[in-house]
Amino acid sequence: MANIFFLVLRRIRLPLILLITVYSVATIGMTLIPGVTPDGETWHMGFFHAFYFVSFMGTTIGFGEIPYEFTDMQRSWVLLCIYTSVISWLYGIGSLLRLVQDETFLHAVSRRNFQYSITKIDTPFYIICGYGETGEMINRGLCNLGIQTVVIDLESERISSLELDNFLTPPIALTADITDPNNLIYAGINRPQCKGVIAVTNNDHTNLKVAVASKLVNARVKVINRSEIEDEAKNMASFGTDVIINPYLTFAHRLKQLTTKPKLYRIQNWFINQYSAETISEELEEQGLPKGRWIICGYGRLGKAILELLNEHVESITIITPDPIASRAPDNTIVGRGTEAETLQEAGIENAEVIIAASDDDANNLSTVMTAKQLKPDITCIARANKEANNLLFSHADCQYVMRSSSVVANEALTTISRPLVTKFIKFSSSLTEEETTELANKINAVTGDKEPVTWRLILDAKHSPELVDFIKGAQAITIGQLTHNTRVSRGNCIPLLLLRNGVSRVMPSDDETLRVGDQLLVCGPRGIPLLPQHLQNNIELLDTLVNNNTKYIPLLRWFNRRRNHSKN
Amino acid sequence: MNLEKVIFAFFIILALSVNTGFFISGLVAPDSLQAIELALSIIVSLICTVLKFGDRTQFGSTVLASSLVVDLLLIAAAILWGVASHSGAGINHAQTATILSLAGGALVANFLSVVLLIIETSQLRR
Repeated sequence: MANIFFLVLRRIRLPLILLITVYSVATIGMTLIPGVTPDGETWHMGFFHAFYFVSFMGTTIGFGEIPYEFTDMQRSWVLLCIYTSVISWLYGIGSLLRLVQDETFLHAVSRRNFQYSITKIDTPFYIICGYGETGEMINRGLCNLGIQTVVIDLESERISSLELDNFLTPPIALTADITDPNNLIYAGINRPQCKGVIAVTNNDHTNLKVAVASKLVNARVKVINRSEIEDEAKNMASFGTDVIINPYLTFAHRLKQLTTKPKLYRIQNWFINQYSAETISEELEEQGLPKGRWIICGYGRLGKAILELLNEHVESITIITPDPIASRAPDNTIVGRGTEAETLQEAGIENAEVIIAASDDDANNLSTVMTAKQLKPDITCIARANKEANNLLFSHADCQYVMRSSSVVANEALTTISRPLVTKFIKFSSSLTEEETTELANKINAVTGDKEPVTWRLILDAKHSPELVDFIKGAQAITIGQLTHNTRVSRGNCIPLLLLRNGVSRVMPSDDETLRVGDQLLVCGPRGIPLLPQHLQNNIELLDTLVNNNTKYIPLLRWFNRRRNHSKN
Repeated sequence: MNLEKVIFAFFIILALSVNTGFFISGLVAPDSLQAIELALSIIVSLICTVLKFGDRTQFGSTVLASSLVVDLLLIAAAILWGVASHSGAGINHAQTATILSLAGGALVANFLSVVLLIIETSQLRR
């Protein structure tokens, strides 16, 4: 506020001095020029009357000539003063209006408003740097979860587009250069409510700068970074960036999962992509990718990642790239873009089962997919959509699986932020055997009726589930099975996925495991209805009925029954 | 040499001089106070105040504060004078004393401004 106030004062200095000068000259002039009373005596106007007269003359109100009629000399002075005072008023008001439209002034005002909003935040919030496709998705996800966000982008157009969207918790936006650490401090990185910084600009180096600055300014905040270049990612990891998301590597991992363990892929896919579904055909999702011959068109970051991860798991991978020497492609690489039939035939498309269009040009990728489909209609097509908007074209081109790097990054980031246990589950679930995975998938399908499940986390502490904690503290053991399944209320049944106890996580805990205070349990169940543990966490009567089998309805009998149960234990 | 600085120093010193003039004339001849001198002091002091607007240095804010004090005291004196001389009975001794004491207070503040100005100038390194 003080800044704006001083800025205004500085700008209106000249008009103010002009006004003071004009008024004082006019007033002093009025006192000096002699007038004549009706009696014919000479008189001099006092300062009081002179100032009074000049005040209404200057604003052109005009109450007339007081206290006596003016002489011609006085009138000519007044004439002069009227014009000078009107001009100085116009000048003053003009300067003020110009100031209001002034770029510097508007900037100061918007900065001030931004800072004010930041200091008003009293809930945990995240700073999102870069409001591109990825930033937009993350922001929408966080806003829908009711988490406050602060968005910073260099381009004011993107920030203004933010204002037009209708969000549940409106984000606080600022147009600023995020590579300047001062802007991070402006955005409230030092405030205790700041939970993390998400750097998802399209420039890796900018993301790196943000990560360094955030960790130096406030080591406590979580830093989540998008990084597409391996070197930069290593650099980020070296100073403790918490989460580094490389969309190409992540996608290559998914492809590997889809090839080697399609069931597990399906389960993980349910849990990761709860915010925006992946573009994948159902057939492919159920059967997984064939392990035969693969063709990759374009040997960039995605192509390299896929080759590295999948080379051992499939029969053969043929690379097509326009410049194999510069991109350091393997020896048997075919030179070309992969958009024309000749190159694809040379790569042996007749015998291939999977073709991946992985170049950084959407038009080329589309062309590759269409040509491949013409040459071999039953081939499985995987394409990289560099722009989110082109996703539509790829699904029209009958592409079975589309990689949208923005949504890959956004889903990863949102899962890390809002559901830490899901991240743990994904990490440890690779250790599950084929049978266990199949069993889990069947269980989930049985509970949800072949629909996508939702996950939910039960936190056993006095804040989140007081009644359940009291129940356990009352020396009544409750097992995971009792908490998640019940034959009498089968609608809310769910499946335990992961138990976190004293920092150690256990995937697929057994139903006989007894819960302790301080545990965290990840469960999944059908979408849209309250799950059994959600009911139980804060309902002592329901716990009594379902867990202790207290079937009495009348309160007195219930109480008596409960006492008897207690004494038995 | 900076013209802005010259103008600012000019007004600060002028404010002190005019104020002193009014104060001395009041002491010498309390019966014929010069209204024009008081008016001039007020005008010069107002201009000083405006000139210091927007200066965010420590020195600037102190000078701004002291010239605000001068404005306050002198305008209070002018109002008192106006009310007294238009009340019919004319201005009496007690009122003259009040006006003069207010002007004296303003003189001290004006003096302080000049002292601050000199201090700031002496701190400039060649």
